[in-house]
Amino acid sequence: MNELRELAGKLLSDGTVRVVIGWEDARRGARPVFITDPAGADRLIFDTRCVHNLVTYLNPRRDNVAALGKMGLVVKGCDAKAVAGLLREAQLTRDDVVLIGVRCGGVLEENELLAALPLTPENVAPRCYGCDNREPRLVDYLLGESQPEPPRPVTTIAERVAALDEQPLEERWAFWTEQFGKCVRCYACRQVCPLCVCERCVADKTRPQWIEASPHPRGNLSWNITRALHLAGRCVDCGECERFCPVGIPLTLVNRKLQQIVGERYGYTVSDDPETPAPIGDYRLDDKQEFIK
Amino acid sequence: MTHVWFISESDLRALAGDLLAAGAEVVAPVAVDACQSPSAIASSACLRPGAAAVDIEYRLLRDAAELDLGRGLPVLSLKQLFLPEHEALCRWQQRGVEVTVEEVPTAFAPRVVLAAKPCDSAALAIVDKVMNWDYADELWNGRRAATTILNLACPVIDDSCFCTAVGAAPDDVKGADGLLTPVEGGYVLEVTTEKGRTLAEAHMARLSTAADALVAGSDVHRAAARARAAANLEIDAASVRDWIDTHFEDPLLAALGVRCNGCGACTSVCPTCHCFDIVDEEEGIGRGTRRRCWDTCQAPTFTLHASGHNPRDDQHVRYRQRINHKFAIYPLKFGEVLCTGCGRCTRVCHAGQDLVEILQAIDIAARRPDATAAAVAGAEPAGS
Repeated sequence: MNELRELAGKLLSDGTVRVVIGWEDARRGARPVFITDPAGADRLIFDTRCVHNLVTYLNPRRDNVAALGKMGLVVKGCDAKAVAGLLREAQLTRDDVVLIGVRCGGVLEENELLAALPLTPENVAPRCYGCDNREPRLVDYLLGESQPEPPRPVTTIAERVAALDEQPLEERWAFWTEQFGKCVRCYACRQVCPLCVCERCVADKTRPQWIEASPHPRGNLSWNITRALHLAGRCVDCGECERFCPVGIPLTLVNRKLQQIVGERYGYTVSDDPETPAPIGDYRLDDKQEFIK
Repeated sequence: MTHVWFISESDLRALAGDLLAAGAEVVAPVAVDACQSPSAIASSACLRPGAAAVDIEYRLLRDAAELDLGRGLPVLSLKQLFLPEHEALCRWQQRGVEVTVEEVPTAFAPRVVLAAKPCDSAALAIVDKVMNWDYADELWNGRRAATTILNLACPVIDDSCFCTAVGAAPDDVKGADGLLTPVEGGYVLEVTTEKGRTLAEAHMARLSTAADALVAGSDVHRAAARARAAANLEIDAASVRDWIDTHFEDPLLAALGVRCNGCGACTSVCPTCHCFDIVDEEEGIGRGTRRRCWDTCQAPTFTLHASGHNPRDDQHVRYRQRINHKFAIYPLKFGEVLCTGCGRCTRVCHAGQDLVEILQAIDIAARRPDATAAAVAGAEPAGS
């Protein structure tokens, strides 16, 4: 933690960056903080409550954040993958941001706590299990001690996806109909997603209206399927969409299934290497095309 | 026209049962365990041994035993009983040049809400004003007229409750027809409207005279709850209103929204946020439904003009708008703060926006004209 505070203070003092975005302790727990004064660097923390993917503040449409000046951003491994996604899609140039990587051994599922807890199978965010990027590579600095693997959660996301896959089609349909039926179309999932950076979302278009605006089952299905497809091969599994969903739709299950499909069909794994092209922006002669009939 | 009675807890449940037996719709707080659903796989919390994910929600009672008198805060307020998330306004059908429009009913079956949160009923009375300002909203008014509400005095949920700071109270009867206050052995019931009296008089067998000692006990309970709420936040709402109204470009207001992601969860759970969008949805060739659905000022499209210009083109100004509307614009227009201090926006925000802290910061700025954003710890996101 001292290492993080000292580095942030130094970067702000010598003018390398104008603002450092990290986490602080607040009245209701850890939350994002924007530090512009080197003296404020002591507010920075990093522990198992720091679940927020701060890369969402790099969205080029967020003029008020950009107006703060050159940014130093504290990133975990999953967050660094989101930065790579923005670089791949030319939403950002690498010089726009100083990345302060933190070694991460997983975060809590329920993070709104006044003190950090050690991770256990009961409290770990299930998405952290099997993390392949505990030490982000796409960074300018890498801080903290080497971290152990996150504990295996009581039930893994892969197990839940497999359990759904085993269900007959009608039951799976009933499951997702019920889940998407809860959607109130607040678009919190889109707003917090570090990779939902479209100037104008298809859901907001009215001429023609591709996606019905009312939160009835038909409109909800259109929205949720569209959101999923637009993130195929792009989602970094940071889990912010599910965490922000006010009605508890298990979007992590959708995201993980997409990752599996993209992995099987294109041999692609989302990483924090921006030079590896994502399937959505890459054409290969051996791409599978048996679905074209 | 206040009338006061005593009702035991078993009689209160029996009263709910009587209403159900008579075919009335009864809405009340119910403890809902998400893990009881066949879809428990949806929540990893449910997959742990012995897990339960209990939420309090306002639901249609099926059985009087479901009535939850534990006095927790329902996830969503009473708002959606009067302004549903989406509802049809009319349906149309076109045959050639002939268009027929089918209206929706604006009269509703009688409905009783038991054990409502005082902050939730007070919100209805505040929103009544905008719903009857330049246009009388028949659907809102129809549901309001058909509904009788008995509040249950609130113990104050946690340190994000601040009803007393914005003119409401944990024992408010505003927007409701009566109040239940816990006392030894049951509740003191006081009714304050004709609707409330009609309800009470129809169930006199369940009520008895409230002894003076019990009424005194309920007063102590109510005063203690008010003191608890006041300890969380004390502001001068009039100064806050005037300060916001005269400091539109103040850096403090611009700084408040920097960490906000614009997800709009705060407006969904807010008992007083009432903005809606009207959309026409075609349902086949030449027919369709005009609906209104909840909208949010936190979304960019809320103010997007047809020209492409957006006067609120970034999140910090959309957040400022939310604060401005609630604590300055609405009070100046309708004489009431558009907030009842329920604290749901703060509890639901995963980015850490905290209205208690924000109101405190504005109050400090309003009381001290020389105070700058830098003097206001916590609300100033840049730490400088």
